[in-house]
Amino acid sequence: MNNIRNFSIIAHIDHGKSTLADRMIQLCGMVSDREFKNQLLDSMDIERERGITIKSQTICLPYKARDGKQYLLNLVDTPGHVDFSYEVSRALSSCEGALLLVDASQGVEAQTLANLYLAMENDLEIIPVLNKIDLPAADPDTVAFQIEEDLGLDGENIIRCSAKTGEGVDEVLEAIVNHLPPPEGDSKAPLEALIFDASYDAFRGTIISCRIFQGMIKAGDTIIFMSNGASYKVEEVGWFDLKRTPRKSLQAGEIGYIIAGVKTVSDTRPGDTITLKDRPCAAALPGFQEIKQVVFSSLYPISTDEYENLATAIEKLKLNDAALTYQKDSSSALGFGFRCGFLGLLHLEVVQERLEREFDIPLILTVPSVNYHFYLNDDSLLEVDNPAYFPDPTLLKGTEEPFIKASILIPERYMGAVMNLCMERRGENTNYHYPTPGRIEFTCEIPLAEIIYDFYDKLKSITQGYGSFDYELLDYRPSDLVKLDILVNGERVDALAQLVHRSKARERGLHACDKLKEEIPRQMFKIAIQAAIGGNIIARTTISALRKDVTAKCYGGDITRKRKLLEKQKAGKKRMKTVGNVDIPQNAFLAVLKSDQ
Amino acid sequence: MNGLYIHIPFCRRKCRYCSFVSQPCIGPPPAAYLEALLSHIRLYARVDWLKGEGREITSIFIGGGTPSLYDGKSLARLISACRDNFNCRPGLEISMESDPNSLSLDQLARCREAGLNRLSIGIQSFNERLLKIMGRSHNRDQARQAFCVARTAGFENINLDLMYGLPGQSPDNWRQTLNEAAALAPEHLSIYELSVEPGTRFAELSDRRQLTLPAEEEVIEQENLTCSLLEREGFERYEISNFARPERQCRHNLNYWRNGSYLGIGAAAVSCLSGLRLRNVEKTETYIKMVRQGLLPLADGEALSKEASFRESVIMGLRLLQGVSLTDLRLRYVLHPRDYYGPVLHNLIKRGLIAMDGDYMRLSAAALPVANQILAELV
Repeated sequence: MNNIRNFSIIAHIDHGKSTLADRMIQLCGMVSDREFKNQLLDSMDIERERGITIKSQTICLPYKARDGKQYLLNLVDTPGHVDFSYEVSRALSSCEGALLLVDASQGVEAQTLANLYLAMENDLEIIPVLNKIDLPAADPDTVAFQIEEDLGLDGENIIRCSAKTGEGVDEVLEAIVNHLPPPEGDSKAPLEALIFDASYDAFRGTIISCRIFQGMIKAGDTIIFMSNGASYKVEEVGWFDLKRTPRKSLQAGEIGYIIAGVKTVSDTRPGDTITLKDRPCAAALPGFQEIKQVVFSSLYPISTDEYENLATAIEKLKLNDAALTYQKDSSSALGFGFRCGFLGLLHLEVVQERLEREFDIPLILTVPSVNYHFYLNDDSLLEVDNPAYFPDPTLLKGTEEPFIKASILIPERYMGAVMNLCMERRGENTNYHYPTPGRIEFTCEIPLAEIIYDFYDKLKSITQGYGSFDYELLDYRPSDLVKLDILVNGERVDALAQLVHRSKARERGLHACDKLKEEIPRQMFKIAIQAAIGGNIIARTTISALRKDVTAKCYGGDITRKRKLLEKQKAGKKRMKTVGNVDIPQNAFLAVLKSDQ
Repeated sequence: MNGLYIHIPFCRRKCRYCSFVSQPCIGPPPAAYLEALLSHIRLYARVDWLKGEGREITSIFIGGGTPSLYDGKSLARLISACRDNFNCRPGLEISMESDPNSLSLDQLARCREAGLNRLSIGIQSFNERLLKIMGRSHNRDQARQAFCVARTAGFENINLDLMYGLPGQSPDNWRQTLNEAAALAPEHLSIYELSVEPGTRFAELSDRRQLTLPAEEEVIEQENLTCSLLEREGFERYEISNFARPERQCRHNLNYWRNGSYLGIGAAAVSCLSGLRLRNVEKTETYIKMVRQGLLPLADGEALSKEASFRESVIMGLRLLQGVSLTDLRLRYVLHPRDYYGPVLHNLIKRGLIAMDGDYMRLSAAALPVANQILAELV
C-alpha cells in the first residue's frame, strides 16, 4: 500500500489538465508515440472539441521513481465544469491528494477555487503546479505569489512545468510520490468501497469505478449497494490501465473497477458505498447525495416520425449518463417527445449535441426551466418544472424558486459590468473581496432560473472571456411567477411557453417576439406573434406577408438548377415545424432561449 | 425532337448583373468556335436516332452570350448547317439573341435570307443612367436604332428583353421604358425582374452596400404596371416573364416550359431527350478540342425517373399562365396531379393558389408573384 498514490487534478477549463495527463501517461511509458493522440482520456468527440472533460476517467500509471522503487499512481480524472461538481467531489474523496493546476498566463479562476475548496474539505494534500510556462505571456512569479498569498498554499512546493513541451513533468511525478501520502486502510476489515463513477460497456454492463477504503473484493463476492440494498455478484475486478486489466482482487487503498452484472449506469449512484453481503461494514462512507437535476427541458424530434428513434437514442445515452432523467412528454405543437432533467445547461447542451451527432436526430428544445414550488390554496405543495403544468393562478397562494450562490472571479475592471449583470438578473446580497490586487471575487445570491438563461455566455462576453463562474444551490425563496405564453397567429405554442418572474415577463415577451420575427421566414400571409400572460397580451409583433418569390428567367439550360433550388426550398420547409398554418424553423425555438450578445 | 439550341458564349463585356457562362471577346469572335459548332451539328446529324420517324426540329434558337457578334456570313452558315443536317419542319421558328450595337443591316439581311425569322434584342432599359449602371455596352439611341435596322432587314417577329427592379429605379422611370418599348411595337417582350446573383458584380456591390435596389413595394408596383400597361397595348402575358401579341409566343421557349425535348449545340449547352438531360462541356477550348477529335463534347448528364420527370413537367408548365395540360401529363406519364400530390395539391387549391381550369392546372393570379412558394411544394 505504501507504493500507491491516489490523486486527482484540479484545474480550470483550458488550463491544460488533459495535456498534463497525456504527458504523464507518455512518461510512464504506457503508450507509444505512434498510438498517441491528444487528450487520451477524453474519449468523446465533444470532449476533444470543446476541450472539456464530461465523463471522468481513471488511469493507473506504473512509475519507477528516482528512489528506485516502483509506484502505482492512480490518476482520477474529473469533469471540469460547474454542472458536475457533485461528481467532482466524489472523485476527489477517492484520493489522498490533488494537483492544483494553474495556467501561468491566466492565474487562478473561480472554478479552480471551488474545486480546491472541495479538495480541502476532503482533507486532500495539494501540490500546486504552474502549467504553460513556455508561453510568452506566462507570468509564473505573479501566479506563484497569488497561489501562496491567496490560497495559503506553501510556495516552496510549487512546481513549474509545461505539459505541452514536457518540461518539468517528471518533477510533477516525483512530487506525487514524495509529497502525497500513501493510502491507509486494512485489507482484513469489512469491505468499504466508494463508487465515484460508472460507465457503460455494451458487453459487460456497468463498469463501476471505485476506491477501496477498507477490506478487499474479488470475483465471486456478493456485494450490496448501501443506499438501496441492491445486491450483485461480482464477475470481475481490476485496474484501469489504458484498457481494463483484470486482477484477482482489489485491496484497501486501491482504485479500480468492479463488474457485477449491473444493467445500467443509473442503477449505480456516485457516492454510494459498496460492501459485502455476508460481512457488511458498520456504516456507509459519508457524503452520499442523490443526484439532483436542476434544469429541465423537453426534447422533440423535428420530424414526428423520428420519435421512436429518439426514444431509442435517449435510452442508449442514459445507459452511460446516470445524471440524465427523462419521461415522456407531449406538446400540441411538437407532438411526442421527452421531458428531461439535467445537471445544468452544459449537461443539456452535451446531451443535445450527442443526440444530434451520434444518433443523427435533429431536435427542438423547449425553453429550459428550473423546478418551482407552487403553494396552492389548500396548502398543498406542487413542484413544477414544466410550464405546461403551471397551476390555475386563482388557486395559487404563493410561489417559490430556487436560489444559488454565484461566485464570480474577475479582473477588477469588470466589476461594474458584472454587478450590473447580477442586478439585472435579480441578484441579492452581493459581496466581494480581493483575493489578489486587481482581482475580485464577487459573490451574489441569484435565482437559478436567471443563470440558466444565458448567464454564462453573457458573463463571458462582458468580461471579454476573463470572468469565471461557479455556483452552489442555496434554497427556495418566495417569488412572483407567471406563465408567459407565445401565440403565433392566435395559437398558443406550448413549446415556447416559459415560467418567468413577473418583473421579467414583458422584457422576455418582447425578446421572444423579436427573435421569432427574425427567425420565422415570411410566408404567404401575415403572421402575428404575441406574448401573453393569461389573457393579457404584453408584447406583439407582425411578420408581413411574403409578396414576391419568383424566379424571373427560366430557360432550357436552367431547368436542373431551377429544380434543385426548389428542392432545397422544399427541404428547408421540411425541417420546420408547422404550428397552425405557420412554418417555424428549428432555429426559432433555439433563438428564444438566447439573449442578445 | 422539337428544339435545337445553339450556344455562343462570347460577349463584348460582362454586364454587371449577368451570371451566365460567357467570355469577353474583343474584335471578331473566334472562327474556330464556329467551325466547332458546324462539326458538332454534323456529329449529331450522323446519329440516326435523331432523324428517326416523327423527330423533326420545330424551332431553332441561337442564344448566348451575344451571337450577333458573328458576321452575317458566319451566322448564315450556321443556320444553313442546321437546316441542311436536320429534319426541319417547314416554316419553323428560327430565333437569335442580339445586342443592339452588334447589329448591321447587311448582317441581318444575310441571316434573314438563311432563314432567321425571329430576332431578340437585349435592350434592358431605355434609361441612359440605368444602362450605364448595368454595364451595358449600348445607349438609348443605339437601342432604338437596332430595332429600326431589324425592321428594315425584314424581321416581322422581334422580341425585346427588358429589366425592372433596377438600382434606384422608380415606377415612373420603369413606365417610361415600357412606353418607349411599346411605342416601337415589337411582337414580343421578355420582362425580367433583376435578381442579384452570386458571383456577379452587382452581388459584390450589394455586399458592400453600394447597391440600392427599390423596395419590395416599388418592385410590386413596377410589376403591376407592366401587366396593366402591356395588356392595354395588346400584349398577352403567357408566361411569368413573357408577353406576346396573338400567335407570337416564342415556340422555342414554349417547348422548354412544356418540358419537351431539345438538342443543345455548343459549349455549356444542355440537351433534354425525353427525360435524359445532357450537359456539354463548359470551356470553349475543351469543347473545340473534343469536337475536332470527333467526340460528342458531353460533360455530364442525368436521367430522371418517370415521377421526377412528371414533377418537373408540372413545375415548368405552371410557369405558363395557361398552365399544364392534364391530358398531356396523362399521355406522357399516366399520372394525374390530383392522385399524385393528394392533400398537398388539394390544400393549394383550397387556398386559392392553384386553379383547375378544364384540361389545365394553373397558378392563380395571386400565386404568380410568389410562384416559388407553390412550386417548392410540388417539386
